[in-house]
Amino acid sequence: MGNWDCYHRPMHAVETRALTKTFGDLTAVDDLSLTVPQGSVYGFIGPNGSGKTTTMRMLVNIFYPDRGSIAVFGEDSRAVPSGTIGYLPEERGLYRRMNVKPLLEFHAELRGGRNAGPEIDRWLERFGLAQFANKRVDTLSKGMSQKVQFIAAVVPEPKLLILDEPFTGLDPVSTDVLRESILELRRRGASIILSTHDMGVAESMCDYILMIYRGRKVLDGTLDAIQEQYGNDTLRVAAANDDCAGLPGVEKVRDLGQIRELRMTRGCDPQDVLRALIARTRVTSFSVAKPSLHDIFVRIAGPEAAESSPPKAIAAQGGSHE
Amino acid sequence: MNKTLIVAKRDYLAAIRSKPFLVGLIVVPLMGGSGFIGIGLMKAKPDIRERRVAIVDRTGVTAESIISSAQEKNAKDLFDKKTGRQLTPRYVFETIAPDDSAPDTQRLTLSDRVRGHQLFAFIEVGHDALHPPAPDDSGAIPQSGRVDYYSNAGGVDETREWLDGPINDGLRRARLTKLGVDPARFTDALAVVRVQSMSLLSRDEQTGAIQTARKKSELEGFIVPFALVMLLFMIVLTSSTSMLSAVAEDKMQRVYEMLLASASPFDLIMGKVVAAVALSLTSSVLYIAAGLFVLSSLALTGMMPPSLIAWFVIYLVADMMVLAALSAAMGSACASPNDAQHLAIVLIMPALIPIFVMMPVMQDPNSTFSTVMSLIPPFTPILMLLRQASPTGIPAWQPFAGLFGIILWTLAVTWAAARIFRIAILIQGKTASIPQLFRWAVRG
Repeated sequence: MGNWDCYHRPMHAVETRALTKTFGDLTAVDDLSLTVPQGSVYGFIGPNGSGKTTTMRMLVNIFYPDRGSIAVFGEDSRAVPSGTIGYLPEERGLYRRMNVKPLLEFHAELRGGRNAGPEIDRWLERFGLAQFANKRVDTLSKGMSQKVQFIAAVVPEPKLLILDEPFTGLDPVSTDVLRESILELRRRGASIILSTHDMGVAESMCDYILMIYRGRKVLDGTLDAIQEQYGNDTLRVAAANDDCAGLPGVEKVRDLGQIRELRMTRGCDPQDVLRALIARTRVTSFSVAKPSLHDIFVRIAGPEAAESSPPKAIAAQGGSHE
Repeated sequence: MNKTLIVAKRDYLAAIRSKPFLVGLIVVPLMGGSGFIGIGLMKAKPDIRERRVAIVDRTGVTAESIISSAQEKNAKDLFDKKTGRQLTPRYVFETIAPDDSAPDTQRLTLSDRVRGHQLFAFIEVGHDALHPPAPDDSGAIPQSGRVDYYSNAGGVDETREWLDGPINDGLRRARLTKLGVDPARFTDALAVVRVQSMSLLSRDEQTGAIQTARKKSELEGFIVPFALVMLLFMIVLTSSTSMLSAVAEDKMQRVYEMLLASASPFDLIMGKVVAAVALSLTSSVLYIAAGLFVLSSLALTGMMPPSLIAWFVIYLVADMMVLAALSAAMGSACASPNDAQHLAIVLIMPALIPIFVMMPVMQDPNSTFSTVMSLIPPFTPILMLLRQASPTGIPAWQPFAGLFGIILWTLAVTWAAARIFRIAILIQGKTASIPQLFRWAVRG
C-alpha cells in the first residue's frame, strides 16, 4: 500500500486541492485538484496557455497560489526541501559562461547535494557529454545544453521530478536517451510529472493523464479510463475511394493519409456504416476503436470546442488513482 | 552551505574572473584621478610660450608700475631654482596709448590682434581705478573704476590669475607714489605675508603634555576626503551598473526559472548582493593598500587614520548593498541588456546628487545644509564620509545616526527589491516601467 499519513490515507507524491492562480484579470489556473500517485508518470496535456506551466511553477513554489493547497509527499510544498523536487522548466537557460561540471555542481549544491561530482560524472557519461565537462556551456549545441539542464534537474536524485516539455527540440536519438532516463528514475522510485504536446509520448509513457483547458481540469485518469468515457465511437477505415463524407451516422471524418478515422454519432451502429461504405467503394480494412488521445484532445480544445464554453471536467471512471 | 552563500560564491567567482572586473580595477582609479592626472601632465609639460599682453592705461600713471611688478614676478617665477627649467610662460607687455574719442574702436582693434595671435590678451585700466568709486545699489562698479581683462582664453585662464597680483601691486605702487612715499620703500610696504594653516592643539591623554600644532597643507583638507569619496562613488557605481546588465543578460538567457525552483527570490537577490559587496571590498582593499603605501612613502600616513578607513568600509558595504539590490531588481525588470543601460541612469541619479553637492559640503562640513544632506540615507555614505574626512571634524554622534538611517534604508530597499525580483524575473519580452516597479514593491 505504500506510505500512509496520520489519517491512514496513502501518501501521494503530489496532492493539490482547489488550486487557483490569477494574473490581473486572467485566471490562469482555476480550482484545480489533482493527485499524483507515488512512483507514477503523470502527464499534463493541454493547449498552449492552458495553465500547465503555471501549475508546475506553483508545484515548485515559483508562484504561490491565490487559493488552494499543495501537498508534496504529505507536506505543505513550501516546507519540502528543495532537493526533493527536480524541475526542468520549459524555458531552457543556463549560465553560458560557466563550464559544464562547475555549473552542475552549483545547481546540485543549491538543491542540497553535497559531493555530487561522481553522480554528475555518471550522468555526463550516460548522455555522452563526459568530454564536455570542462567546456563552457556556450560552446555546446542546443540539444547538449538541454541534456545538461536535465542533469541539473536530477542531481541529486529527486523523489519528484517535474519536466515541462522535456522532449521539445531533441532529435530522436536524444529523445530515446532522455525517455529511458526518465523511466529508469521512475523504476528507482521517483514520481514524474511531465507536460507534453506529443500525444504519442503521453499515451506511451504516462500512467495518468491530466488535461487542462482554459485553466480548468477537463480530463484526469488513466488512458484507458479516459478513452472509456468516449466508448467505441471511432472507426478506422482503409478504402479504395477517399470519399467518406456524408455516410449515415458519421459526424466527422479525419484523413490520416493511409487510413481515415470516422467519428460516429451516439447510438450509431458500425454495421450500418460498413454497409454504406461497401456500397460506395472497396473496403480493405475496417475496425471499431476507442478514440485516440489526439482525437480526444481535439474534441475538447479544437476550433469547434474553442467557440463554446469550456467543457466540464470528466472524471475518469475505473483506474482512478484517488 | 546557506543558499545565499552558494549563490554569492558563484557570482563572486564568475565576476572576479571576468575581464570587466580586471579592466574596472584599472579604470576606476583612472576615472577618479583623471583630474589630477591632467594637472600632473600639464605641470610636467607646461605651455611656456611667450605671452604678449597690451595695457591701455586710462589713469596715465599705472602702466609702468604694473609692468615693473610683472617683471619682478617674471624673474621670480620663471625658472625652477634648482633645475633651471622654465616653469611658466614669460609675460611681455606693450603699452597702448588710450584713444578716448573712440574707445570701442580701439578695443575692437586690440581684440582683432588677440584673434590674430599677435597678443595673448589686453587689459584696460579705467581712469578711476586708482580711487575706485563705491559700488552702486546693485553692487556693480562702473567700468571707469575697474581693470578689464580681454582675452579669448577659456573659463579657467591662468594668465588672468597671474596678472591679478602685478595689476593690484602696480596700482598700490602708483597710489604710494602719489602719496609721496619713497619708491625704495615700496617692497617693504607691499610685502606679502603667508597665512599658514595649522591644526588645533590638544593635550596628550597619557602624559598631559600639550601637543604642538602641526602645519596643515591645503591638500590635506581636500585630497583625502576627495579621494575617498571618489573611490567609494566609482566602486559602487561600476559594480552596480555592471550587475544591472549582468542580471538583465542572465534573465534574457532564462537562467532564473530553474534557480527559483531551488532557492527563494530573497536567497537569490541576497546572494547577488553579498557577491557584489565582496567584490567591491576586494577592489577597495587593493586601492586602500596602494593609497596607504603612497602615503607612507610620503610620510603622510596620519592623513588617513584607521577610523576613517573603518568608516569607509562600513559606508561602502551599506551603499553597495542598496545599489546592488536595486540593480538586481531593475535588471530583473528589463527585457534586454540594452534596456538595462537605459535604466542605469535611474540608478545613477541618486548616487550623483551627493557628488553635485560635494563642494559646499567640503567648504563648510558643519553647516545645516551639510548636516541635513548627510543624514538622508541614500546620501549618507558619500556625504558623511566626506564630512568625517575633513580636517574640521564633525560631532561624534552624527556618523552613528547616519549609520542607523542607512541600515533601515538598506533593509527596506533589499526587501522591496526581492519583491520586485520575484515578480519581474520571469516576465519576458517587456521592460517594466518605473511606476510598475513601485507597484510591485508595495503590493508584492
